[in-house]
Formats: sequence, C-alpha cells, structure tokens
Amino acid sequence: MSRKVFVIDVDRCNGCHSCQIACKDEHCGTAWLPYAAEQPDTGQFWCKVQEEVHGSVPKVNITYTPIIGAQSDAVRDYAPELLMDRDDGLIVIDPKKAKGRKDLADEFEGIYWNEALEIPQGCTGCAHLIDDGWSVPRCVDACPVGGLRFGDESDFAEEIGKAERLDPESNVYYLNLPQRWVAGQVIDDAADEVVIGAKVSLEPLDGSFEALETATDEFGDFWFRNLKEADYRLTVSAAGYAPREQTASTKEADCNAGMVLLEKSA
Amino acid sequence: MASTQDKTVYKTTGWCGFASGSNTAAVDVKDGKIARIRPVHFDEEYAEDEINPWKIEVRGHTLTSGMTTTVSPMALAYKKRVYSPNRVPYPLKRVDWDPQGERNPQNRGISKYERISWDEATQICADEIRRVIDTYGNYSILCQGDGHGETKVIHASHGCNTRLMGLMGGFTLQARQPDSWEGWYWGAKHMWGMNPLGQQALQENTLWDISENADAVICVGCDPETTPWGWGGFMASKISYFWLEIGIKQIYICPDLNYGAAIHADKWITPLPNTDAALWLGIAYTWIEEGTYEKEYVATHTEGFDWFERYVMGGEDGIPKTPRWAESKCGVPAAEIKALARYWATRNVSTAHCNGGGYIRSCFSTEPARLEVALLAMQGVGAPGRTMFKFIEWGLFGMEGLNSLPKGEWGTFMWAAYSGHVQGTYLTSFIPQTLVPKAILMPEGEKLTWPGRVVCNMPLEDQYVDYEFPLPGAERIHMIWTDTPCWSTCWNGGNTMQEALRDESIEFYLVQHPWMENDTLFADIILPISTKFEQDDIGTSFQCGENDMVVDELPAIDPLGEAKTDAEAVLAIAEKLGMAEELMEEWCYSPDLKGAVAGKSGGQIAPDQVGHIMGEPSFETMKRVGYEFGGCSEHMPFEKFQEKGYLPIRFKDEADWKSDPVGMRAFYEDPENNPLETPTGKIEFYSLSIHEHWPNDPERPEVPHWIEESDEHKERLSSDRAKDYPFLLMSNHPRWRVHAQGDDITWFREIATCKVTGPDGYQYEPVWINPRDAERLGIEDGDIVRLYNERGSVLGGAMTTERIRENVLSQDHGARVDGIVLGTGGLDRGGANNLICPSATTSKNAPGEVTNGFLVGIEKVDVFELAEKYPDQFNRPFDKSEGALASTKIVQA
Repeated sequence: MSRKVFVIDVDRCNGCHSCQIACKDEHCGTAWLPYAAEQPDTGQFWCKVQEEVHGSVPKVNITYTPIIGAQSDAVRDYAPELLMDRDDGLIVIDPKKAKGRKDLADEFEGIYWNEALEIPQGCTGCAHLIDDGWSVPRCVDACPVGGLRFGDESDFAEEIGKAERLDPESNVYYLNLPQRWVAGQVIDDAADEVVIGAKVSLEPLDGSFEALETATDEFGDFWFRNLKEADYRLTVSAAGYAPREQTASTKEADCNAGMVLLEKSA
Repeated sequence: MASTQDKTVYKTTGWCGFASGSNTAAVDVKDGKIARIRPVHFDEEYAEDEINPWKIEVRGHTLTSGMTTTVSPMALAYKKRVYSPNRVPYPLKRVDWDPQGERNPQNRGISKYERISWDEATQICADEIRRVIDTYGNYSILCQGDGHGETKVIHASHGCNTRLMGLMGGFTLQARQPDSWEGWYWGAKHMWGMNPLGQQALQENTLWDISENADAVICVGCDPETTPWGWGGFMASKISYFWLEIGIKQIYICPDLNYGAAIHADKWITPLPNTDAALWLGIAYTWIEEGTYEKEYVATHTEGFDWFERYVMGGEDGIPKTPRWAESKCGVPAAEIKALARYWATRNVSTAHCNGGGYIRSCFSTEPARLEVALLAMQGVGAPGRTMFKFIEWGLFGMEGLNSLPKGEWGTFMWAAYSGHVQGTYLTSFIPQTLVPKAILMPEGEKLTWPGRVVCNMPLEDQYVDYEFPLPGAERIHMIWTDTPCWSTCWNGGNTMQEALRDESIEFYLVQHPWMENDTLFADIILPISTKFEQDDIGTSFQCGENDMVVDELPAIDPLGEAKTDAEAVLAIAEKLGMAEELMEEWCYSPDLKGAVAGKSGGQIAPDQVGHIMGEPSFETMKRVGYEFGGCSEHMPFEKFQEKGYLPIRFKDEADWKSDPVGMRAFYEDPENNPLETPTGKIEFYSLSIHEHWPNDPERPEVPHWIEESDEHKERLSSDRAKDYPFLLMSNHPRWRVHAQGDDITWFREIATCKVTGPDGYQYEPVWINPRDAERLGIEDGDIVRLYNERGSVLGGAMTTERIRENVLSQDHGARVDGIVLGTGGLDRGGANNLICPSATTSKNAPGEVTNGFLVGIEKVDVFELAEKYPDQFNRPFDKSEGALASTKIVQA
C-alpha cells in the first residue's frame, strides 16, 4: 500500500485555522480508542498554524504554515514499538503501549505530554476516520481553500518533486514555503511624485550570485521576492535622476527598504 | 472498529440573520453528544448534475461553487458554545430584585442570581407584562430582537417575543438599524438610490464582470478573510485567490493590515481611520485637474457635477482639495494619492466591500460613502470591469439584484414558519437601536425625534418622514424584554447603555438567552434558551454563493439543562397570559399566510375562512407550513426532503446565468430608460433629496464634503480632545468571534491573535500598536494597557505589530464585558470597546451608529495594582482558558 502523505501549499493558506480547530473538534474531549485518547481541551496542537508577520508599514505581509508535527518517520525510527501497526504509513502512537513514555514528547515538537493520562499524544492522521471510510483527515476536510491535501504518495509525485519538508523524514510536504523579500517605493520628493519605471537592482555584497533587476510599478513600488538570505546592494536609477544606492539585508528578516528618494540630476 | 458516528444531522451555521441562514454543516452525533461539525459533501446525497455547480473560467483558471460547503471556524468550534460552562442552566432571578418590593435597579450588573422554576419564572414574567401594560400602557414595553445571534426559523431569536406582544396590543420596538451599511444608507442612497442599502444594489453578475474585465479591485476597509465568515463562509476567500491567479490587482485601503490584506494585497495604502473622504477628494481633484475622468458619462449619467467640481477645486470654501491637502487629513502621501488616481483613471477599476468597519461606521460616514460613488461615477460606473462589488450577503432579503454571483434556478424563504420579528413590521411605536439609551435616560416628558423608520430594508423616501418617541400620550420605557442581550457590546456608547439598564425607570429587565454574558448579567429574570443544535427547525442556506439549499434542521442532541427554545419560552409565558393558543395560531397561520392562501383561491375563500390546512397549529406543523409556502414541495415532496436531510437548489446553467443582467450595465448603456431611484434618475453629485428635506445641513450637505468635526463629534487627530486621547481606534469585526458571540471558545483563545495572557493569568483582548508608537510610550509587547477617553476605559493586551500604522490602535469589537466599574467613566476588564464609543449618531440628521475610528488614549497598567484597588471585581474567579465564568454569578443552593 502506498504511503499516506500531506501536501500543504503555504501560498494557499489564508490563516483561518480551520485545520487546527477541526482537529480540536475531533479529538478534544472525545477518545477514539484504540487510536487516540482524548486530547486536553487546550495546550496541545496536533495541527498548528504558525503565523509570521513580515516587513514593516506599509510593506507587510503574513504567511501561515500549518504544522503537523507527529507525522514523521523519525518517530517510527525512534520508537517503532509504540506505534500501531499500519500499512499506510500513518504514524499512530498507541495510547496503551506508549503509557509513561514522556521521552517521546520531549523528543518531538509535534508530540505532547498528557499529564493526566500519562501518555504522549500527537496527530494520528485521523486514522480512526480513514479506517471508517474517510478519504482525508479532519484538518484536510475542513480546509476551505484547498491549501491542505492528503492522499497516497504515488498520487502526489509531481507536487512532492517540487516540495520541501521541515523535517527530512516527515510525511508532510510543503509547497511555496516563505522566502525572503526586499521591497520599497521610489519617490521624487521635490515633485511629490512616485517614480514609475525606475530601474532597481539588487546585488549580493559578496558577489556570490548575479544581481537581480526589476522596475518600479505604477505606484513607484518594487518587490524582489523569493530571495536568499544575504546582504545586498540596492541601486535605483531613472532617467533624469541621480542614482541612489543603499544596502538591504535579508539575513535576519524580510526588508522594507522604505522610500528611496530620488533627486533630479543636474 | 466502531463507527465514528451514530447519526448525522444538518444545521445552517450563519450567526447573523433573520430566518435566512448560510454555511450548512453536517453534524455527526455519537453516544448522544456532538462528535464533530464538518462541511457538507453534496455527493453523499446528490449527483453533481442535481447541484450543477457554477464555474467562472478566465485566462485558464476556474472558480467554482464546488461540491462541498465551507463552514466558518466558529461553526467548526461551535461544540464549545453548545457545551459552554457559561450556558444558563435553569431560570434565574436576580437575588435583590423583588417584583413585590424593592427592585434595586442600581444593582443590575453587580448582584447575583438564584435558581427558580420555569413555572415561577413565567408567572413573574406574565404578571409583570400585565402590570406594566395596566400601569403605563403597552408602549412602555421595549422588545429588543436584534440581528446578532443564531439564525433560526421556527424557534427564532431576533424578536420571538414580538408576535405575542403584538397580540397583547402592541409594544415599542427597538428598530434594527442599517448597522452594516450606515454610511451608504444615510449617505450614498441620496446620491444614487440603490434601495434598500445604498451600496450598489445592482450586483448581479458583478463577480463575472470583474473577473472578465477588471484590472484592479480596491478593497476599502474591507476584510474578506474575516467579516464574511460569520454568515458567508469562505467564498470571499476563494474569490480573492482566484483574482490573484488571473492577475487582477488587489489594492487594500485600511489603517490596519487586516487579514485579507495580509495575504491578498498587492498594494497596501494606509490612511488614518475615517479619513477616506479626504483621500477620495484628493483623487477627484487629480482627475479634474488632469482632465482624466469620463466627461461624456458625467454629462449624460449624472447631475450637479459643477457643484461638486466647485467644492473640490476650492471655489466654495477657498480650499482646493489637492493631494497635499488630502495628505494633511488622511496621512497618505500626496505622491501616492496621485499615483492611485492615475492608475484608476487609466484602467478598469472596481471597489469592493465586506460591510461594517470604520469606513461606514464612523461619524459623518455618509461622506466617504457618497464620495466613493462620486469617484465611481467619474470613471463611468457600469462600464465593463467598473463596479462596486460586495463580498458578502449575496441575495440578501431574497433580492436577486443583491446577488453578485451566478444564481440558483429558484429561491425560497421560510417566512411562513418564522416566529421572529419580521423587518418592517410593528413600527407604530419604535426607537432606533442607536437611540435606546437616550430614550431611556432622557428626562420625563422629553421627546426624541429622528428621520425615518431606520429599518435596513426601507426605501430612500422613508427617511423623509420624522418620527418621535414616546408617541403622543404614551409613557416612557419601563420594561425591556430581549432575546439578543448584546447592546452594550455591539452598538454606540455601551457605558451609557449600562446606565440605562440600571436606571430606576426600568422596573423589569427580562433576558432569554443561551449564555450568561454581556447584557444578560444585568437582567432581573434570565430564561435558559437552547442552542440551535438542540432544536428541531427548518432553515435555508443562502448568501454564501456555494450552497443554496433548504435544510431539515433536526436536533443533534437533547436540550441541555432546563433550556427551552426561544419560541417555547415565549409560549410558556403566553400560557400564563392565557394567550398560548392564539400565539400558536399566529405563528402557524399568520394573517399574511391566510391572505396568501385566500389570494391563491382567486376569491373562493376569504382569509378568515382559511382553516388549519396543514394540520393543527404546532411547531411540527410550522415546519410543513414553511416548506409548503416557501414553494419547496414543487421541487421535492416533504417526506423525501426529510429523508434526504436537505434540498439543494440547482444552480442555473451557464447560458442562463450569463443572460441575467450585469451590474449597472443597463444604466451605463441607456440611463434614460434605466433610471436610478433618485429624484432625477441620475447619479446626483448635488443631492436633490437632501436639498429638499435637509437644506444646508453642515454635516451632510447637498454635495458630499470633508467634515472635520461637529458639536457632537470631535474625533480627529486635529481635535482638541486629541491632546488627551491621541490615538484613533480601529474596532473591526472580530476575527475570532462573530460580533459578541463566541468569546469563550477556548480553542480560539489559545490562538496568538485572539488573546494576550497577562501576568495575572487573565486573557486580555489584544490591542495592536505600531512598534514606534509603543517605544515612544514605553509599552512592550504583552503589556496590559488601558484604552481610555472621557466615556470610560477598557483593558487590553498590547501586541506590538507592523500590522497597524502609527497614531492608530486596533482592538476588535465584541469582547465579553467583564465590568470593573459600570456606566459612564467605567472600566471594563474584558476589552469590550463598544462601551467607550461615542453615543452620538452619524450626524444630526443621520441616526446611524458610530462605533469605529474614535479617539482614545493608551497607557500601560499594572494589573496587580488594579486588583488592589478593585479587589472584589479582580478576585472574581475566572478560568485561564475560558475567561470570565458565569457560574460565579449564580448563588449555589
């Protein structure tokens, strides 16, 4: 049987948290034995939406990354004896076998220690539903915009080819994980006008790869997306203006280079 | 293994509507408990051709209504509301309210409650109703039945008390404002008609038009990733993604990076709150100066443009409304205003809205709404790709013109089975929602007057008539009966409402509600109401663009505690009044229904001869009546409907929906033969209706203006008050509630953007503050802060974030009240910022709400110091995950 995988398109995540909430609806206060004991009402996130705010006013965006931590073969490698026997690759920590094994929760971020029941818990891929005829787990069923998908590895060969994983043994594949950007706006301050069509180049200070180029749009804005983490030289030039140069770094975070003020050349 | 459910029932899960629901969910039940709430997959019951999902295909991409419903996060989490520890467990009476003796109105909101029986509670209610009617007359009873709450039909909230009170001889109605459309309703209607809301009411096929023809959509104070959730699901989100795929630029104009802007914006423009009017004027100036507006269209489709031009260019007041001038008011750089103006003038640009928000809920909101229409007109609105689009309420009021998406083959409405208040009825004695505290607190003998019956489905002409309260010879309000106890957390000036609820003129305050929260805690008697998951009902799902259907809403579980449905509770009171039989007859076979049957008979029978044609009056019969008179049995027999669980309304075939009208295209092509609902039939830059009825109104002049401030509203950074209160507060529709509903859902409260946990373990409502403002004020992320003005204070948890521009703060509205000091000048721990909104309305002649974009100060507080100062209030037990606990308000036997 083909291995079950999750494919998550981060570009298609609107941050609604429906996956996280549906997971809680399924597991908090309800035990699905022998697959899963009940999840405490708060504090555990078998599916967790991670939010990151990028940039500064007025160049800001948010990315959301749903994390399904426990679905990793690393868990199988670590403690195969604690898992239910399945031939679809889903990681299901057997609540009976795993009793007392706090080390599992200590070892893996997506696995939580249930103090009251003394068991480690995490995503089961809703194996109880899959075995009851469901084609996808709750989180995927609840995703309203098609950001989360689930199925046989063989059916997702194309996506997996382009995907990344947060953990190399994970069964969760990501498309379009957030990458760094540099943005700004080019203004002719004296004329109180944006500068449209200005040439903007972004060149790594260490010269390790070729400079990128773009032009400002109708609002004088420029965006360089999908950047490497590096220190850059940002150069802006436009006909009739003295060129401007400044540095921009994406090493720590995305970079709003702010308003680049051009002056008319003499 | 055992099956993962014993049975499945269907429930509509829109949380704001009068008998018109949305977002149908499947509810799986196991062992008598709700196991899960999930989207409906149509293919479990129907073939694809029976649904016939619509598809819009543009540039190789497809948007479709699909074969599933989408349900909101609050619907997914609604189990937490059903089983909430804050449910009203049994009938309660305030311990120090004695209908035979001291009533202690001053202790409302403070004193606790004791358990009484349903029998005792309904007897007290009946006796009080009789007493108030006998002593003061019917109009001294105010019935509140607002739009905020579960959407139900047979067991409706939203004024389920009104039919009984109608049979009792009348009452005073809290009239429902156009609260989602204030600026358009009181402003834009005077410019382009567009009854009843004032937004572009000619919405048909605008989604298709924009997708095919527009270059850009400007989302003005509009959050398609939050506002539609409560009653429209996620179609707005899908549309935004689709527009991104097909290359339609999305420009967001909002002081805060709202949740839509955060993921969909190609461009974020950040004006100060409630300064859009200045931004619009700066754009108009640029177009006039550069000659880049549609002069031919303006000449043929509009009236009074020269008056507008004169004002914009400074001929009227000596101030040209240049982009520089606009920058000084709205904070958007002049260069950017010009860039936006030029972009707009050279492309097909539409505007888009999700209702509400600061844009049309601030003081003088008539002006930005009218000025937006002015700009649309200057660029030939109605031309391909140039329209005003709504992300929400598709098909509101059953009006085809309000549906922007491809439509179903037929429509229905469960009016015949609806037990709630029907909009537009019982308007003999009424008070606009926004004026209720004023009406209660004004000195004996004074009167309130206002224009129009203010109800959201009224035409423009309705505003021309003045109304008053109390009616001649009638007394003031002495009793309030509500099924939507959230006035102070939803409308304008909640602290004043708290004073009104504690006023000695109010002798009896009756609340029926599922949860002990907000205004419920001021009641004298509380009746426990079931949630819709415990009720047997029928519903319709419209307005979400993906699943028009009629739903057999069978109960998922038995009622919890001693809860009854809203209608059962009213019926129980009616029994004590000896009115039960009459009331059930009225609900089941209303005069409207009898009239309809008589009409159909072609004069064979008179209305009073219409018998119990669908069976003896009962809640069960109401379901059949609703189905039959909604025209549904023509499409599926009732028994088959019961077997299937829901009846989907097949979407029209593509050729059919594409032949429906497209937005304002008919007016665009031939204005003479397709006039608008204005006196001239054109778009009026100079409003004749305003000129005739309110000439020279300085706050809403004939030509739309920038209004800096007025005697009642000084809510600008330029106002003197800003010295003390130097920030403008955004108070948006909440991301993790629907208005004031759902604040105790633990699964939301642990999401980072939902609450901020203080050092005392209490979860405070977030306050967004720009890091530069925060640094200047010495506020750090996670600090507990006080937002304040002369109307009072609310607490919150600081979130330093680049999602908000400088000089502006943002705190979602609708957090649960947790009163520390009640009334004007009070202090609220929960962060219910409606408490400190202005009480005054939009403007003198526009009685709309002002609940956003007002001045506040902010300071860091030490919660332990506050706890020492207010030990009783701060030491009330609370749950670290749920927040305030209702159980602390009940005296345990």
